[in-house]
Amino acid sequence: MAQVTTAERKSIFSLFNLIALIVLGVGVYITYLRFTGGLAAVTNLSDYNPWGIWISFDLLCGVALAAGGYVTSSAVYLFGMKEYHSAVRPAILTGFLGYALVVLALQYDVGRPWRLPYPLVVQQGTTSVLFEVAICVATYLTVLFIEFSPAAMEWLGLKKARNIVVKLTILLTIFGVVLSTMHQSSLGSLFLIAPSKLHPLWYSPYIPIYFFVTSIIAGLSMVIFESTLSHRFFAFKMDETHLKEANGVTLGFGKAASYVLAGYFAIKVMGLASGNQWHYLKTGYGTWYLVELLGFVALPSLLYAFGVRTKNLTLIKFTSVLAVLGVILNRFNVCLIAFNWHLPSSERYFPHWMEIAISVFIVMIGLLLYRFIVTRMPILYEHPDYKDAH
Amino acid sequence: MSISRRKFLGWVGAAGLSTTIGKSANAATNKQFTGYPKSFAILHDTTLCVGCRSCEAACNKVNDLPQPDKPFTDLSVLETKRRTTTTGFTVVNKYDNPKDSQNPVFYKKQCNHCLEPACASVCFVRAFKKTKTGAVTYDSSVCVGCRYCIIACPFEIPTFEYDQVLTPRIRKCTMCYPRVIEGLLPGCVEACPMEALSFGKREDMMTIARERFRKYPDRYVDHIYGEHEMGGTSWLYISGTPFNKLDMREDLGITPAPQLTAGALSSVPMIVGLWPVLLAGIYAVSKRKEKIAQTEKQQALTSALDKERPDESDIEEES
Amino acid sequence: MVKGKSLLIGSGISVAIVILFVCFMGALDVKALSKTPDDTQPIMFRPDIITFDNMEVFGKLEKTKAIFLHDQHTDALEKINKDCTACHKTENGRMSQKFMRLKDISREELTKIYCDNCTKCHTEMIAAGEKAGPVKCDECHKERPSIQSSRVPMGFDKSLHFRHYRAQDNKCDRCHHEYDKKSQKLFYAKGKEGTCRYCHKEEPEGDATVKVISMRFASHLACIDCHQQTRAKHMDAGPLRCAGCHDAQEQLKIEKVKHVPRLKRGQPDNVIIKTGDEKGVIPSMMRVPFDHKAHEAYNDTCRVCHLASLESCATCHPLDGSKKATKNGREITLETAFHKRGHQSSCTGCHESKQQDKNCAGCHAFMNKTRQQESAACLRCHMIPLPERTGELSTSKAAKMARLMPQLWKETFGPIYKVDVPKTVVLKDLVNQYEPAEYPHRKVFDAMVKKLDGSKLAQYFHYDDTTLCRGCHHNTPAAGKPPRCANCHDKPFNEDNLFRPGIMGSFHQQCLGCHQKMGVEKYTGCISCHKERKKES
Repeated sequence: MAQVTTAERKSIFSLFNLIALIVLGVGVYITYLRFTGGLAAVTNLSDYNPWGIWISFDLLCGVALAAGGYVTSSAVYLFGMKEYHSAVRPAILTGFLGYALVVLALQYDVGRPWRLPYPLVVQQGTTSVLFEVAICVATYLTVLFIEFSPAAMEWLGLKKARNIVVKLTILLTIFGVVLSTMHQSSLGSLFLIAPSKLHPLWYSPYIPIYFFVTSIIAGLSMVIFESTLSHRFFAFKMDETHLKEANGVTLGFGKAASYVLAGYFAIKVMGLASGNQWHYLKTGYGTWYLVELLGFVALPSLLYAFGVRTKNLTLIKFTSVLAVLGVILNRFNVCLIAFNWHLPSSERYFPHWMEIAISVFIVMIGLLLYRFIVTRMPILYEHPDYKDAH
Repeated sequence: MSISRRKFLGWVGAAGLSTTIGKSANAATNKQFTGYPKSFAILHDTTLCVGCRSCEAACNKVNDLPQPDKPFTDLSVLETKRRTTTTGFTVVNKYDNPKDSQNPVFYKKQCNHCLEPACASVCFVRAFKKTKTGAVTYDSSVCVGCRYCIIACPFEIPTFEYDQVLTPRIRKCTMCYPRVIEGLLPGCVEACPMEALSFGKREDMMTIARERFRKYPDRYVDHIYGEHEMGGTSWLYISGTPFNKLDMREDLGITPAPQLTAGALSSVPMIVGLWPVLLAGIYAVSKRKEKIAQTEKQQALTSALDKERPDESDIEEES
Repeated sequence: MVKGKSLLIGSGISVAIVILFVCFMGALDVKALSKTPDDTQPIMFRPDIITFDNMEVFGKLEKTKAIFLHDQHTDALEKINKDCTACHKTENGRMSQKFMRLKDISREELTKIYCDNCTKCHTEMIAAGEKAGPVKCDECHKERPSIQSSRVPMGFDKSLHFRHYRAQDNKCDRCHHEYDKKSQKLFYAKGKEGTCRYCHKEEPEGDATVKVISMRFASHLACIDCHQQTRAKHMDAGPLRCAGCHDAQEQLKIEKVKHVPRLKRGQPDNVIIKTGDEKGVIPSMMRVPFDHKAHEAYNDTCRVCHLASLESCATCHPLDGSKKATKNGREITLETAFHKRGHQSSCTGCHESKQQDKNCAGCHAFMNKTRQQESAACLRCHMIPLPERTGELSTSKAAKMARLMPQLWKETFGPIYKVDVPKTVVLKDLVNQYEPAEYPHRKVFDAMVKKLDGSKLAQYFHYDDTTLCRGCHHNTPAAGKPPRCANCHDKPFNEDNLFRPGIMGSFHQQCLGCHQKMGVEKYTGCISCHKERKKES
């Protein structure tokens, strides 16, 4: 039940705010360029490489890293793990912001963003995996918004509405997991159509399963990572429950992540075996694959396990970064590095600095929105009027 | 939050019913589309092509494309390998001829108008259509510009107008659909002086190809490229040089592109049907465990209290 | 508890490292990254590779076959003044081809002979400070050797044969022999000389009592032995090193005698081709006269036609075939032997291969290879009337007939058309982008006629001028004035006539195709044949 006093707030000219201002400024300028000069003016996309880091990072990684929402809410509400309850709202908020920012990134990447609703309302391409992704992401964004809304309604004092919405929690959670399963795996399924372009070590009929499992890993690890950052920067907003449960969340999620990473490692190896791809491991790409598999899947699994066993929170927190980087690396590999591996290096893609700037810009918007919401709405604490909830 | 049996069944029923809303995805299929009957195809005989680029010039004219920097009569462009672009729906490339070093081999590249196109399969607004004439057409009036079709095309054909802000389109060969439905020939076919491009029904093109193999067995590699590749295409190729020497991929397989994602898409109704049941079940189990734990806690408390104060049972009854 | 700030810094550094990796990957040649180790080994090509596979007769091999470079060893031994006897034992005055032994006895013995002797010599040389071969097992028995054979087969053509028998003072018995099974001895049979390959095949044949050694063995035994002995007498002789015969470059250096005098072995000059009717089979087609003498000059060896013996073709290929000449169990009949397309030994096959010459390919490349010939074509060869009595074939009268018939027959061949080739033909069927093409018809025709001069074969088969016309004016009967192209070729892609190109395709395929095949570089661009039409607008 911590109350925020203005004295505790930092000066508006903090370093972070200055950096944020620069990033926003550059971002707005590049946005202007994008919508006056087209994609050619701000990206290095070509006819051989139609998807760059806006898809690979903002879309594929963004959706994976926002998976903490469904993972946490299903753990608490469906599996009954009440000790992680304080992590639900931040995770849902991250999820909601994450998906909203994915939609924002799409406005930049897609040729005619004003037509994004077309697959829903004009003409449906139901044979397309992307159609399924679009529907699921749109629906899930709505679900997340509804799941997030009680916090906003508590802030705005809309008691009746809030009470109605809260009653829908279980239903929304189940729906959220169903939708997440579908679109997380479908993001991987997007690449099933191009076996001739994706390196055999990364192409597998099991890609959808790999993407789904890594989304769980990403979700669990992001919750640990964000909880660490929140504690550093927003501890003054946290109530006692939150502060008390924090370590439990880190340990519990670390343990879960260790198991899931181990399982993921196993299915990756089995996928290698069933595709009989062993001889590719001797090549340069093979080495890179082993770096991804051993350094960013096997290693975090072991580090998590070790950290949980010895109750070493620092190690778990470091490993969460490693695991998140592993998921990002995997997405980058599938979409950019192992994709078009057969093309000569003159035709390969490297992002334009403006593409990177926009991605940073979008992440910055996310951080600023997160800060805005967390410092005003009951995310990291329980609103005194609604203590009876849960 | 405790839930009564009635309520639980009610919710599950509602969740189940909700899955019946929405269109069904006709994704999973074992059937293969072998083309509309009497649809057209084009046979490209690379042994006849002389690399004159008349086809490129005709395509440019018929589609009102802007003039390129170097005119079509400039054959020096053939020294580098080119790909299709937003202003060049078709390109001719030159390759060494292992049989005859004096006469190189030329090969015309453009959209192959597959029988089961990958682009049409992946477009989430159905902007691509496999027409009855055999052409795969593109409708820019619904295109969102997501460029998934470029990812999907195994032949690396579609191009995107990245420099357009308001109307960026995907560009590719149309098999001159508007001309063909009027009974005219596609521009490139009409222009080719060597008749390296033949136009007619797909079955007839195969017959012509086989007849050429029969008549001149030393001249051709005994394979019609496009007969089965990626499930079959409407642009067929015959050549005297092995196809992989012409930068034509021979490792694409014969599976039509839509079949590659059919499995993944067919799992959607399964997940939508089973996951709610599974998750609701888990919820119910966890709730039950909670309740049992609570009951056991109560019982332990009661028995502990009983042990402590055995003759105060009447006080208990009051509260 | 780790501070959020240091976590942030730590994650920032990790991200930077990942980005650096990505750049690194981008800078690398991605194709090189995908190479498996097999692709990256350089291959050395040598003609003198011998793979030791003698142990295979004794059962499954334990190690990979060792590779031996014969010339390398010959050269090395020469430097230390050693010759073949350092490794090869002699028996009955002839050098054994086997290493340090005369017979293969057992697996253990062979292993001992090779491993001990090879390593002994190598060790000695290394001790003497010289470069030598391997001494360890794995260095000889390599898993994946990086040497491949560039050995080309060696042949004995007329020129080389002439040089040899000139050097032997025309004594045929020096090389040619037959084998007597009873006395199990080799002897010389005059009049029965043939190529070694008639008896010595690719693989050794025979049974336990009589073994016919393989051609490889026989040729090395005969050739190398003789070369060695001749050199010992300080006379010029053929090569002793593998590369001397089996290297492609060295083969080009072998001296070729331009005019080889005719080798006399009792063959006829002109003959009427037998069909096996001595055995009572009566042929039903007219006979074919054959100028054997002229054909001897057209080929480098006799074996091109006489595949298995120097007797007449019908000895092995009678009309209904015999067990003497089979392929895949099928008896090769006389008809197949003489008419099989694509086979150098058949009449039709050889003649057809001559059509691929640059001077002929302009028309002949485009003729359907599987077409049914018209009967007039058969009459070019089948012209001698059937004799009443078969006995007449072997008389001198028959030989005279064989010599004269081809010239007489030319005059009885049906109407010879007088061809009036126009000087210029204006092709204006398709005037659109270009002006009409003015085709110098007479000039081209005359050039074709001139090309016939070089070839007797061409002259014989192009018996009158209309044959030449039908190279381009095809699919029509012979006539003095052949039809226009546009009479048959009109609009393209006719469903009822799938295999007939349209008029534009016909012109370009015919003209450009011919120019390409015949190497006419001057007329390959568009405007070299028709000027561009200047549009008014």
